[in-house]
Amino acid sequence: MSNAFGLSITLVSAFVALYSLPYMYHRFEEMGLDEIQEYRKYIFLYNIYAGSMLWLVYSGNFILLFIFLEISLLASFFLIYMYGYGNRRWVAILYFIWTHVAGALTFVGFLVMAFDNSTLAMDSVSTISFVAWILIFTGMIVKLPGLGPHVWLPWAHAEAPTTVSALLSPLTVGLAGYILIRVYLIDGWFINEFRNIIMAYAVITSIYAGLSVLRQTDYKKLLAYSTVSQMGYMLIGLCLGGFGVAGATIQYISHAFGKSILFMTAGGLIVAYHGLRDLGKMGGMHEYVPTISNAALLGFMNLSGIIAIGMFGEFFILRGIIDVYSFNVPVILAVVFVFILSGWYSFFTMKNIYFGKPAGYEKVKVSRLIDTPLYVIGAISILFIFPPLITALVDGLKLIIGGVLP
Amino acid sequence: MISLAILFLAPIIAGIPVAVAWGHRPESDLARKLPVISVIGLFISLVVSLYLFFSYPEPERVVIQWIPGLNINFSFIFDYLSTRMGVLTALIAFLIGVYGLEYMKHDYRMGWYWFFFNMFTSSMLLVVYSDNLLMLLIGWEGLGLASWGLIGHWFRDDDELSYVGIMDRFVGPLKMFWSPSTGGWRAISTIRFGDMPMFFAVAAIFALTGSLDISQIDWGGLFAKIGTAGTIVLLFTFLMGPFTKSAQLPFSEWLMTAMTGPTTVSALLHSATMVAAGTYLFMRLSIYIGPWAHHSAGLAIIYILVLFLGLISSLYGALVALSSLERKVILAASTMSSLGLMFATTASSYWLGEIAVMIAFWYLVVHAFAKATLFLVAGHLIHVTETRFCSGNLEFGKKIIAGFGATVLATISLAGIPPFTAYWVKSGMDELMHGLHEVFGLAPFALLVTTSLVYSGFLAKFLSLNFIKGEKPHEMHLHGGKVMSLAYAVMVSMLIYLLYVILSGGSHLMEELVSAGYDKTSITVGVLVLVAYVITLIDPREKAFSRIAGIFGDRLYLSALNDYIVPGIGKVLIAFVDLCNSVIDFFFHRLIPDVFGAISGGIRRIQKGYLTTYLKLVVGVFLAVVFIAVLMGW
Repeated sequence: MSNAFGLSITLVSAFVALYSLPYMYHRFEEMGLDEIQEYRKYIFLYNIYAGSMLWLVYSGNFILLFIFLEISLLASFFLIYMYGYGNRRWVAILYFIWTHVAGALTFVGFLVMAFDNSTLAMDSVSTISFVAWILIFTGMIVKLPGLGPHVWLPWAHAEAPTTVSALLSPLTVGLAGYILIRVYLIDGWFINEFRNIIMAYAVITSIYAGLSVLRQTDYKKLLAYSTVSQMGYMLIGLCLGGFGVAGATIQYISHAFGKSILFMTAGGLIVAYHGLRDLGKMGGMHEYVPTISNAALLGFMNLSGIIAIGMFGEFFILRGIIDVYSFNVPVILAVVFVFILSGWYSFFTMKNIYFGKPAGYEKVKVSRLIDTPLYVIGAISILFIFPPLITALVDGLKLIIGGVLP
Repeated sequence: MISLAILFLAPIIAGIPVAVAWGHRPESDLARKLPVISVIGLFISLVVSLYLFFSYPEPERVVIQWIPGLNINFSFIFDYLSTRMGVLTALIAFLIGVYGLEYMKHDYRMGWYWFFFNMFTSSMLLVVYSDNLLMLLIGWEGLGLASWGLIGHWFRDDDELSYVGIMDRFVGPLKMFWSPSTGGWRAISTIRFGDMPMFFAVAAIFALTGSLDISQIDWGGLFAKIGTAGTIVLLFTFLMGPFTKSAQLPFSEWLMTAMTGPTTVSALLHSATMVAAGTYLFMRLSIYIGPWAHHSAGLAIIYILVLFLGLISSLYGALVALSSLERKVILAASTMSSLGLMFATTASSYWLGEIAVMIAFWYLVVHAFAKATLFLVAGHLIHVTETRFCSGNLEFGKKIIAGFGATVLATISLAGIPPFTAYWVKSGMDELMHGLHEVFGLAPFALLVTTSLVYSGFLAKFLSLNFIKGEKPHEMHLHGGKVMSLAYAVMVSMLIYLLYVILSGGSHLMEELVSAGYDKTSITVGVLVLVAYVITLIDPREKAFSRIAGIFGDRLYLSALNDYIVPGIGKVLIAFVDLCNSVIDFFFHRLIPDVFGAISGGIRRIQKGYLTTYLKLVVGVFLAVVFIAVLMGW
């Protein structure tokens, strides 16, 4: 499972790094900063940020995991604080406080776990008490985020520089799901005990955020809400037994691919039209930047699971329903509606931004570094439904499906 | 196995050069020549499908490993249905591709068009040959995506020719004209609504049987295991996919606005791919479920539902077609009608056995060629006259003699006028519906006959208004059109070949059809159909019905569902969510900071350094503690 997460992190962060070359130059120029000098700072922080997430998924000890969680938090905080948009300082602090609350709760949870087991090594921890579970769960709900504590996310994702959004949204928040899955695989009684409540909460989160997407007028904020909705999938998957957890894992990969592509398309529009983010001023953008529009299609295909890896995520989650709930019609309707909704907002956004009457811009030449990474990620996400990639992935996940610690 | 790879990949790979060249340098001369490669790709898959047809006379499966750990594999099936359907799809796609070379010659977005056109064909072939439900879903989603791309092809919404409906017309709050980008959105949103329940059903089948191969699943055991309610839930969710894709009531609206796409797309969409995929899947499922063999209550309920839904959709579609004035909308509604008949006929297999599925399948085949021809002619007419609405008189008809001839042949073949092609298939259907009188009385038969009469009426109307009695067209661009004429001439000649296939007997099914054709009832129905055809041909605009025709022409205002009711509910929900968002924002960004600010301000105000203040505080706290202690003790 670490490999599944690690793979998406490395892939996405590598391609986003390529993308950030032209993007950040644009951003520095816009902010009137010295490009070379700033770039050194930026790439240092960026690498720490991406690296810490990678360390996080490979750490075999909860304390180590927590440390890397905090490092990634700090690095991303600085990135937002220094290079964000709008009132970036306020947003950065908002982000910092919320994720810090999450971090602190989880940390205490880990400590309780440590007292119970006298160890924090993942392969020796065997029982997790109620207190530990509730602390970790609440902490991770803030980070994931669930409905309620999700306030920080739209701000942070919208105002962060796009390259950071393209890591923050696809990778970082999903890691909360990763931690929950880890803990679940060790001792999942909490989820099993409160399954119905968590399930209802997850579904409401997802539908709520999905509906919010339709209302947004800012492209990046729209994508941020869709992240909340997609993280609801992960929580849903977590409640649905072995197949559900496997589905959540694949969902993480799919969302990482899809959302990074989409944030980069948003960034592409920002670069091409000097900060264009307002949906009201867009329309028929396919006319001017067809390559970005096509890439966005790939991204939305991933989100809605149409011939891309997300298909398997949805498939496993749906299969989990039968395993856990059998033919429980309300549950079926709820989950199916969640999936329908994500398809709806995907293509509705597609229509609003890229199709329809052209809004009257100049055609611009898009830098190759801005669109190529998107297509590569898109191609990988499609290739992932065919052997040998999916075969290897599912074989790796089989242990999870069996409910055993990998 | 290699042939399979070629079959599916050839169209996709052949679609890439033009897409890349166009993306790289739009409108260059090179890119304008590359579509030939795409058509060659289509031709290759036609050859392979023919090869498969001849090399698998007996049903056979081919399995290629995919996810062996979960018993999910690429499994292909070559049986009666799939080998024939494969050839049909590939042939029609190829002919339409050839037609498209000329029709789309001056388009502004060729790369997109050809890539999705070829992807459309590949996806359909995948649906046709696949035995594995998950693999089928890949093709299924591919169809949805490609249809979205192609329906919204002219995304700029700037060409009146690409709209559906009368411009700037409103009925109450309803907008009665639709742009291409709206058409695409309506298509994908409707399809999405059906696909996800279907996806669930597939996952459920996998969970319950451990297999995804249609032909290997023990359906009887499955239905026995989950009981009546389970069967109903499972099959209903599964059939949501075919219902939306094949535009049965109430999901029919997207099909009408799908006419915003290029005509070639409509032709492909309406004949052998996409909408046919829904009915085809239902046929395939019915053959392997074999509903006639196990009589479970759940199965019966579902088949009754499909039977009547199909018949009613069919009648609705036929009436809408009869009342419409747009060339392509007439044909779109007529497709819906035919699909309804296919569903109904297949559903009757529950009582009448496998033969019903076969007859439905042959109706699909005949319908596909006839409808593709009519669409291609309509596209040619739109090119020539530059209008979407029916227009053309006899003088005009003589100028486009090939189109005229093809239309005559296609309409009489499809209407069911004896002794032309569809008559024999329709006779089989008459007999089936009549055979249901012990179960449902004469209702199915009566519905079928009514539909047939209306159906024949609007076909005659289409012919009459476009070639004989319509208004004189304002514009006529008669140059070119040779490739287009050739394509539909070949297409329509396939109907004659089919007639030959049916009449020459050769198989049990054909003999059955021919004998049904000599039945008295069928002959009576055939004559009635002929009468309806002739009457509408002579008088295509009967004034007496104009009022009711207006209502049906607006499709009974069913568009309200897509444009008003569902978005309305959505708007209310979104407004609610938005309200919650502002409450949450207020709570976290105003209330909590303000409260904290107030508390900290209060505490700071206390710190003044005066000893008396502190003493007062200590005494106050002490008194409060004492007070509480006393209260509790008491």
